[in-house]
Amino acid sequence: MRGRAAPHDETKESPLSIETVAAPAAPNPPLRTSRPRELRHDTATRVVAVVVVAILSLLIVIPVLTILSTSASSEGLAVFASIFSSSVNRQIILNTVILGTIVGALGTAIGFLLAYVQVRMEFRGKRILHLIALLPIVSPPFALATAVITLFGRSGLVTRDLLGITPNIYGLPGLTVVLTLSFFPAAYMNLLGMMRSLDPSLDEAASGLGASKWQVFRSVTIPMLVPGFASSFLLLFVETIADLANPLVIGGDFTVLSSRAYIAITGEYDVAAGAAYSVVLLLPAVLVFLIQRYWAGRRSVVAVTGKPSGRPDLITSPVARTMLLAPVALFAGLIVLIYATVVVGGFVSILGVNDTLTLDHYAYVLSGIGSDAMVTTTTLALIATPLAGVLGLAVAWLVVRKLRRGRSLMDFLGMLGLAVPGTVLGIGYALTFNTPRGFGDVVLIPALAGGGAAFGGAVAIVMVYVIRSSPSGQRAGVAALQQIDMSIDEASASLGASGLTTFRKITLPLVRPALFAGLTYAFARSMTTLSPIVFLTTPQTKIMTSQILSEVDAGRFGNAFAYCTILIVIVMGVIGILNLLIRERPVGRPADAMAT
Amino acid sequence: MTITMHDTPARDVGDTVGRLVLSGIQKAFGSGGSRVVAVDDFTLTVEPGEFVTFLGPSGCGKTTTLRMIAGFESPTAGSVSLDDEDMVSLTPDRRPMGMVFQSYALFPHMTVFENVAYGLKLKGLPAKQLKEEVGFALASMSLTNLANRAPNQLSGGQQQRVALARAMVVKPKVLLFDEPLSNLDAKLRAQMRLEIRRLQRRLGISSVYVTHDQDEAMSLSDRIVVMRSGRIEQVGAPDTIYRHPASVFVADFIGRANFLDVDDVRADASTGRASARVLGTRITVDAHPKAVAGSDCVLLVRPESIRVRPFGDTEERIAGNHGRVLSAVFYGESVEYEIETEVGNIVAVVSDPTFTEIAPVGTIVGVSFAPERAWLLPAED
Repeated sequence: MRGRAAPHDETKESPLSIETVAAPAAPNPPLRTSRPRELRHDTATRVVAVVVVAILSLLIVIPVLTILSTSASSEGLAVFASIFSSSVNRQIILNTVILGTIVGALGTAIGFLLAYVQVRMEFRGKRILHLIALLPIVSPPFALATAVITLFGRSGLVTRDLLGITPNIYGLPGLTVVLTLSFFPAAYMNLLGMMRSLDPSLDEAASGLGASKWQVFRSVTIPMLVPGFASSFLLLFVETIADLANPLVIGGDFTVLSSRAYIAITGEYDVAAGAAYSVVLLLPAVLVFLIQRYWAGRRSVVAVTGKPSGRPDLITSPVARTMLLAPVALFAGLIVLIYATVVVGGFVSILGVNDTLTLDHYAYVLSGIGSDAMVTTTTLALIATPLAGVLGLAVAWLVVRKLRRGRSLMDFLGMLGLAVPGTVLGIGYALTFNTPRGFGDVVLIPALAGGGAAFGGAVAIVMVYVIRSSPSGQRAGVAALQQIDMSIDEASASLGASGLTTFRKITLPLVRPALFAGLTYAFARSMTTLSPIVFLTTPQTKIMTSQILSEVDAGRFGNAFAYCTILIVIVMGVIGILNLLIRERPVGRPADAMAT
Repeated sequence: MTITMHDTPARDVGDTVGRLVLSGIQKAFGSGGSRVVAVDDFTLTVEPGEFVTFLGPSGCGKTTTLRMIAGFESPTAGSVSLDDEDMVSLTPDRRPMGMVFQSYALFPHMTVFENVAYGLKLKGLPAKQLKEEVGFALASMSLTNLANRAPNQLSGGQQQRVALARAMVVKPKVLLFDEPLSNLDAKLRAQMRLEIRRLQRRLGISSVYVTHDQDEAMSLSDRIVVMRSGRIEQVGAPDTIYRHPASVFVADFIGRANFLDVDDVRADASTGRASARVLGTRITVDAHPKAVAGSDCVLLVRPESIRVRPFGDTEERIAGNHGRVLSAVFYGESVEYEIETEVGNIVAVVSDPTFTEIAPVGTIVGVSFAPERAWLLPAED
């Protein structure tokens, strides 16, 4: 899966529209109200709840259940049995765990380093460094892997031409580099949000008690961030084991569960085995997701009381600055080099072999198949994004405002689209929607995936985009709604506004900025997702990411680079337009000085 | 009926609109074993134009009761009616009531003007009239020059004035206040108290005000409802509540109190008075109807009613009305003594002391009070 990790709950800003996210500022907003609340289950709430549950069932619950039941067939059970008996399968599981652990640890460490530098140091290029760190979020799958092969492979520009060595990048080393680069932004955003909300007065209190800067760092800063480290690690672990694109491109013979399931389905046509491998992947992914969300998330010791009460103490010692900035600069340089390779690679014949400038790749990509795929992918993602927004907001509204019993379950169901690895989701969709569904002869749902599917399989792809994007909307919605004190709704009601009017005039305007920020992010995610898509594309419906996969498979890196560049341009263009559209008029006259 | 917000008395207190009748209200949360009764058997009539305060410690059910009036909670039993119209079946937005919240609850995405105009806009008021009425409301709260500010650009006091203007501008029949001043500092609180009272008197809107601050309750209210564990402990005018509390709990909660042990109570039901021995003397005092002979009674004497006469002697034994000074704290406008007597320690506050008059710690003083300043009431079970 090329699921771009969403920065998790503590994150205070969206990676893509930092300026537009204005947290709704209620005077002294308590995060949660402890007073017993009367929750009136009016008809509207019931209808919304039923509709939401039905949609979530269709989009995620049924496909997952289908996988579970398929894997429980005798062939599937045989695969389960072989997982413990076969040394090959044991090795695959071990590989998956090793990869997840290494990337989780490394990505968290890098994310922390960058976040620390961002919060605790002043230097030129700080803002640019922030943007560079977010670059992997908008980039499509393979961009990194293909560029890394070109740069550091056996005949790589850096390795062979510059250093004269011919390392084997395929396998664990290559995967580690590529996946760490792909996923560290999630850890970075997570820890950045957390460190920004750390109260500097705690540091001041510690130094007031005689602690040196190093002691403060070790005994105050680090322990406060432990939940952040844990949640970042778990998040990256799940993203890593769920990833499919990179193991296919740069995995070599280092097989992991996702690539094994992919081979079972697309190479061996063994659906039951594919389902069984998926379940083996699904269970730890969902488990770790649950731990990450409900345990690590809860254990946060960061008191989010609004604005921190001062400015953090900046690091000024030249030695410390050098020691921190040197690796940061090196890392940022690596990212820039990789993306430069992607861009340049699209404009030369074969990068490193025949460096003559050419527009052949773009001509190939933009004519025929490529432009089809561009239009289709962008259209489907644009259709899915608002739907995901409505679904996510509806879930958030039910969870925060309406449900008491069953709110955790609803929250979990809503987030499931993020927890289920893309590979598993894709296989689940293929299994569930390949044939028409209904009772007896009455077809309720026509075939949505595979050959002969309705709308050439486009519906299934939109459904996948929606269920993978709505968690972003849900999370943004939950965070924003929790910021809005219940009494604001009540004030509106006591002034004569009905529930619907209050939602339209008060709630919606207040959550909109956060929701849109979450959705621009979800749009990028849809555009760059591959793992569920490879199981669902049909000859009629071409999706860019799976087109890129076939280009890479065929060794046409130039075409892949051109594709990737175009995809990045589309994503950034749409995000830019969305940000312009949602720029809100600020309330009040900012020229007025603060009231006394 | 029109109520205007500018500085002319618009409506006489004692009007006929805004009679709020609560009868037998009960509110229980949860069910089965975890069922908690938050409010029980709450019956009260708020007369038109009256200012009634619900006062009690946190968790006594006062806010829950207010929220049942507003419609944010529905009572498990009992009825709420306003001018003979049933309220329980109405959702909050259909009740002609305005509410001022502890957290101000201003809409953060609207300016001050838009906040105040919100309710009128929902009523579909023509633009010109809307502007006029909002203008009056803002002017009456001295907010005119802040009209275009965002709520987060205002101080706490200004925010609460906006909240007040927003609730009043829609001309509700009843105004509800949920601890509106508790987020303000002491000085501002005192000032806002006066402002609320002035405005409420002028508009004559029946008001229910929830607070745990007895100063607020005493200074604002026509009547105070003292609540305890979900039930009404006493309803009365501030001076009645203070002078003749219905129970030790009320006496203790409102102001400060000395409860003196008494002997040999003799009650006279016909006069409502009783005599008893205290501090070595038999006195006749006003008494609670339940303070009868044979029952366990205490005598309430407020610290400011205790008179202290210094003897300057340290040897004399503590007996009768003689006690020993345990502490004497000088506050400027008063001095506060703690005095050990044969009936326990007594707190006395002597106002306007001159420095030489203060009895030193350890000396013997004479303790006395005027019997008409005391109140005999049943001891707490």
